[in-house]
Amino acid sequence: MATKILSVDDSRTIRLIVGKAFRPYDVQLFEAANGEEGLAAAAREKPDLIILDVTMPVMDGVTMLTQLKENAELKAIPVIMLTAESGRDNVLQIAKLGVRDYLVKPFKDAQLIEKAGRIVTLQKKPAAAPATSPAATPAATPEARPAV
Amino acid sequence: MNQTAKIKIADVHEFMVRHLADVFDTMLSMKAVPAAPAGTPTFGERVSGSVGFAGETVTGAVYLHLSAPFANRVAAAMLGLPPEEIAGDTDVNDVVGEVTNMLTGGLKSWLCDAGAECAVSTPAIIRGTAFAIESMPDVKRELLVFDSGQDRFIVEVHIKFN
Repeated sequence: MATKILSVDDSRTIRLIVGKAFRPYDVQLFEAANGEEGLAAAAREKPDLIILDVTMPVMDGVTMLTQLKENAELKAIPVIMLTAESGRDNVLQIAKLGVRDYLVKPFKDAQLIEKAGRIVTLQKKPAAAPATSPAATPAATPEARPAV
Repeated sequence: MNQTAKIKIADVHEFMVRHLADVFDTMLSMKAVPAAPAGTPTFGERVSGSVGFAGETVTGAVYLHLSAPFANRVAAAMLGLPPEEIAGDTDVNDVVGEVTNMLTGGLKSWLCDAGAECAVSTPAIIRGTAFAIESMPDVKRELLVFDSGQDRFIVEVHIKFN
């Protein structure tokens, strides 16, 4: 069964980069654009891992994480915080909230995969055979919400 | 002594040069170096990202000004797509906003570590052919001009220590 990962970021760019990083792996990726949508997606999909941005409109990542940890059904879901802020206080605040790890932007795909791989199983997809018909083309990674 | 009194605008400049090079290298696989000889570019259509920061002892904003064609190439590099596959202004705006967010997030962290706590805003984008960002009174304006290959672009930092 594919590993379910939820990417919560208001930037479509970052969601695309996260999606691209996990493309070689057997991962079912879900997306949300803010903490409110993220909580709803987490409750609906029960992902194995959440990649969570900090600064977002509507509901920021810290508020989403706090509410996630207060929810008995969701609090065990591991979270990697993705933040553009590497300051000592910011990192300490994030650590206190019970995240499994954090990644500071800018980041390389390999850094994200390495951190995610320590928490969930990332199985490489088998190399795709040359497509001979449309039916032979591997399906695109499913997403909870269509790209906007 | 007020912690912010120790922060010098030259240090902000030096930090931003290093940080921008890191963001461009890591996220875009592009080299960006201070322009030599320095000289502000003349843009046609411009795409500018802005992110503000504010705290008790410091306020300001970071602006990233790119020509529209270079902004398109930056978007392509960030998304790993050929430039012709970039789907219009929305993708370009989002990428320019995210790069500006990373630049400002780094500056915010540097300021916080230096004792000037602050928070950042979400990014905004300005597009146009003839506009200038003017600073408010008492705000220091630092202009950093960079070259990335044949493209010249500007990072503008407006900062006020209270």
